[in-house]
Amino acid sequence: MSIKKFRRWMDEPGNSVIFTGSTMFILIVLAGIFIPFFYRFGPYDFVGDPLQSPSLEFLFGTDQLGRDVFSRTFHAVYLDLGVAFLGVAIPFAIGTVIGIILGISKNKRLVALISSIIDGINAFPLLILAAALIAFLGPGLGSVIIILSLTNWARYARIARTRAVVVSQQNYIEAAYTLGYPKRRIIRKHIAPNVSSETIAYALSDFILVILLVAGLSFLGLAATPPTAEWGAMISEGRAYIQGSPWVTLFPGAALCWAAISLAFIVEGLNRREGKI
Amino acid sequence: MTQSTGKQDKTEQTAVDNRKVFAYKVGIRFIRSIAVAFWVTVIAFTLIRLVPGDPASNRLGVDADPAALEAMRKQLGLDVPPIQQFINFFQGLIQGDLGTSLQFDREVSDIVFSALPVTLWLIALSVLISLIIAIPLALFVATSKSVLVAYIFRSSTAVAIALPNFFIALILILIFSIRFQWAPLLGYTPEFPGNLEYLWLPAVVNATTLVSILSRVLYSSIGDTLREEFVETGIIRGIGRFRFLWYYILKPSLAPTVVLLSYIMGVMLGTTVIMEAVFSLPGIGTELISAVFNRDYPTVQAIVFIFGVIVVFFSFFGDLMAYWLDRRVKF
Repeated sequence: MSIKKFRRWMDEPGNSVIFTGSTMFILIVLAGIFIPFFYRFGPYDFVGDPLQSPSLEFLFGTDQLGRDVFSRTFHAVYLDLGVAFLGVAIPFAIGTVIGIILGISKNKRLVALISSIIDGINAFPLLILAAALIAFLGPGLGSVIIILSLTNWARYARIARTRAVVVSQQNYIEAAYTLGYPKRRIIRKHIAPNVSSETIAYALSDFILVILLVAGLSFLGLAATPPTAEWGAMISEGRAYIQGSPWVTLFPGAALCWAAISLAFIVEGLNRREGKI
Repeated sequence: MTQSTGKQDKTEQTAVDNRKVFAYKVGIRFIRSIAVAFWVTVIAFTLIRLVPGDPASNRLGVDADPAALEAMRKQLGLDVPPIQQFINFFQGLIQGDLGTSLQFDREVSDIVFSALPVTLWLIALSVLISLIIAIPLALFVATSKSVLVAYIFRSSTAVAIALPNFFIALILILIFSIRFQWAPLLGYTPEFPGNLEYLWLPAVVNATTLVSILSRVLYSSIGDTLREEFVETGIIRGIGRFRFLWYYILKPSLAPTVVLLSYIMGVMLGTTVIMEAVFSLPGIGTELISAVFNRDYPTVQAIVFIFGVIVVFFSFFGDLMAYWLDRRVKF
């Protein structure tokens, strides 16, 4: 893309926000990939005296056990974003498929039944349901992914169902039937893409919520537990030292904010492009 | 003469019809809420049965005494067939019996009813603070002609929604509780004016997200309302400023915000769990977390159930209020 074209693209509403957001997101992902590889300290190494303030040697200082906060903060990227990604991708896939099936199904009773179960699941705040299920599954990031797959699909299913009902009444679907395409092809090539465009949009904002949920649960000690290098767990660990050594808490918190805000910018930009706000 | 009475009859007739339609719609919505509440009950009931393995041995350890395991199963109500278990659970709920806590040997309903007010106070205060800020903010931004104001508003609210509340809470504690000492670090009193001292800072943290969400929705619906013809009529008729702002701008725009607010109040039950943990408030979220750590299954189950019912209740009243504010709302 030439610079001129890029400038014109940036002038369209929303695109500059999307650009800022995606640059921020790519930066943190790259940092998460490369810093753990090339940095001289590992996230679990005891590298020096505890609670040293940030210096040239320890860029983000050291924590209460003398571990390097810089290394830990960026080592956490793949855990936080990876878990959140799986926690969005799996429910997205399950929910979209169930929603499409519900949207085109002719069996009204079954649809009503499943829809009311979906409403029932959606009635619970995600964090409550997650915390409760952790009582049974035990704390851990694996549990969080399982729990999100078990519960979060319902939100996608609801969106996909509403959308699938609308899409399946469109003229182009009727046209496809008239052309004699098999039902499977119509669902796969015509209904699914139109429904998933809606659920993908939701998935993007859900990604923010899930990142915050994973970190929040870890903060409560329900997901990642110390000594794991994970933002929520690190903030929770550093909390006791926040008065004297705020860097132990502030840097992981800033990284978490950075990741969430970058995605929020992307969502915001996409909304502006669509003229939604 | 006859004509005019006929007209009057007709208007009365429509009023009665409207009331009937309203009652009918409320009835339908109520039945739907009951159906959702039923599933909420079923899900809360199923939770304990989702455990891989046996909840009793999970709690007591694999090599526990078989008699103790049997007693634990009995205490958890797992010694009878599943259908009977559900009937027992349901009967208990109707009688207000939520089971007995495994960690304190207390009735779960006692725990819930002593902790719930703290949480509800916190939510009420957060909503109050948010509305006080969000409504004037949205009105100001929506009626201002400046592009810059709108741009700053949209960008800053987009950022505020994405902020992790527990991290914001820690920063605010660092500033307000430790540096300036305007808020206590720990503790709580249940009495009304005294509890505000402990609740205002967590409520402010909740409000950072809530203000952004509410004011954005209100902003966009005010934008829609401003394009309506009756607004122009209002301007032309020269209606007083306050009347104009309330009847012509705010009231027709509030419905989506109210629906959202009722939904968000449900979501906030989740975020208050974290807030209560950060500020050490003895609310229902703190009870939930302690029950989760102690594998106190009956308490977890009961709290999940209560949360679900509260959400259903909130959203029912939210829809009701939205319909009252704006009859165009689809119910």
